[in-house]
Amino acid sequence: MRIRASAAIALGLLSLSLSALLSAQVRAAKAPEIKAPDASWKVPRTPWGHPDLQGVWTSDDLQGVPVERPKESGTRRFLTEQEMKDRDGYVGRIIQSAETGERPKEGFWASQKGVDAAAVPANWVEFARRASALTSLVSDPPDGRIPPLTEEAQQRSANQPSYTNMRPQSYKDMTWYDRCVSRGVTAGFFPSIYGNGSEFVQTPDTVAIRYEMIHETRLIPLAAPGEADRPRNSSKMRSYMGEPRGHWEGDTLVVETKNFIGGRLAITFAPYSEDLTLVERFRRTGPQTLEYSVTVNDPGTYTAPWTATFPLTSEPGYQIFEYACHEGNYAMRNRLSAARAEEAREAAAGK
Amino acid sequence: MRRSLYTSGALWIAASAFAQVPKAADGHPDLSGIWQALGTANWDLEDHQPEPGPFYQLGAIGGVPPSRGVVEGGDIPYKPEALAQRKQNRANRWKSDPEIKCYMPGIPRATYLPYPFQIVQGTNVVLMAYSFASANRVIEMGKPKAPSVDTWMGTANGRWDGDTLVVDNSGFNGLSWLDRSGNYHSDALHVVERYTRVDRDHIRYEATIEDPKVFSRPWKISLALYRDVESNATLPEFKCVEMTEELLYRDLNGLKAK
Repeated sequence: MRIRASAAIALGLLSLSLSALLSAQVRAAKAPEIKAPDASWKVPRTPWGHPDLQGVWTSDDLQGVPVERPKESGTRRFLTEQEMKDRDGYVGRIIQSAETGERPKEGFWASQKGVDAAAVPANWVEFARRASALTSLVSDPPDGRIPPLTEEAQQRSANQPSYTNMRPQSYKDMTWYDRCVSRGVTAGFFPSIYGNGSEFVQTPDTVAIRYEMIHETRLIPLAAPGEADRPRNSSKMRSYMGEPRGHWEGDTLVVETKNFIGGRLAITFAPYSEDLTLVERFRRTGPQTLEYSVTVNDPGTYTAPWTATFPLTSEPGYQIFEYACHEGNYAMRNRLSAARAEEAREAAAGK
Repeated sequence: MRRSLYTSGALWIAASAFAQVPKAADGHPDLSGIWQALGTANWDLEDHQPEPGPFYQLGAIGGVPPSRGVVEGGDIPYKPEALAQRKQNRANRWKSDPEIKCYMPGIPRATYLPYPFQIVQGTNVVLMAYSFASANRVIEMGKPKAPSVDTWMGTANGRWDGDTLVVDNSGFNGLSWLDRSGNYHSDALHVVERYTRVDRDHIRYEATIEDPKVFSRPWKISLALYRDVESNATLPEFKCVEMTEELLYRDLNGLKAK
């Protein structure tokens, strides 16, 4: 799954906008460890008393953490001392590559076999500033593995458009990410090769989350104090980002989202169904950390619900740049015209 | 006497209407809500007559509706040498308008597109999220920031002038248009917007548009924004990319693509 995500991103890089390049370069730097909050730290509050989640957060530090836990780690949520040393070494080498501009020989770069154009220098993309101790993003089930797909979902994923299709007949053979339509709710937080920032803005009755990648904004209406979540629109109004409803449980923002368009976007390999329900929890755990957790419940896709939990961090100087994905989507024309040129060449050769 | 009574009455009405304007925690007017311009500024900022559209099959729904313009003084003060470009844009309006391609609308056009947008007034920034193309921008209310790179939606710095939110916009890439009739600007565009919530359900929107490459002097537009007053109001997700792909990529379809 990591490989699939990386390759999709490699293709996406062909359409990388100038602003994304600049953002990566501006941010290349080592960062100090995030210390646990001291005893005097309190959850910051808005003037109206809600926990203050406002600002820009990023999951860059989760780069290199697998979504699913390697089987040999069993139910262990955190790395061993030796594993931590190894990851720390990896993170250090990638940071160094970003500084020197030299192409790393591991991770994402090593996975780009025979595609020199995609194996960009390390300072073109985002990377962890410090090593995470997590063995996987998935926290439940306890083995950190995503429950098996239903038969229906296996069929759905076999028929989905693929970024590896080098002979697309039309834009319809491309993924919705390649087409700059949407990446969905979770992709904004799960670490990707760049554009992992999200900006939170709050009012007493709304929390807005603005994603860096494909510039999508979620507008979450909050329940009035002591009242139930606001009623939803009908399921005739489905959308890529779904229809969210939020409320505060103590200091945790809980957001339940439904009414997704099914069969297109995926959280893991298989596109989810229109019965998907996401329950996300956001909680400040320190001056520089926001814990994110998402429970994926989609009986049409997974044989059991599962949850991913990981921290987002705020990084001084991190700016969200305008990601004009569709406006600068040269990859679409390039891939389609390359496919037509190949066909013409084969026709001329009498194949 | 009669006149002064009338004036004080009008002032009293205005004052009581303004008293209904919700206030944010910091005491400034709260602009949060879902807003939309009515009228046809997006068709043409200047006064304009009705005109048939390019597809006769669309009949009455495919043409340009007439409307009063929103430009103060009536006409946009183009430099003489810049008028040729507008003329060319106008001749190609059904083909060249970036709105057709679902490109981000830029400022001020995002405000008077025929789709709603939502203002989320946070404590340090003001977010504006537009239904069209999922465009959005964050207005910095603290220390002004310089544009890092030219963009479609520009770089926005805000401040309060009494009860008016003033937003200074620059750092545009010059690729967007101002309306569907070919009014345009360059990358030297500088827009100062003023948002005044005059009562619970209305914002007076004004924008001063300056672009020394295209206009002979700064000029101003003024229009009302209306609040979506329904209790279940939500900003619809309008992913217009999907409506443009056949247009943008059809020429590269393979033989098997139907």
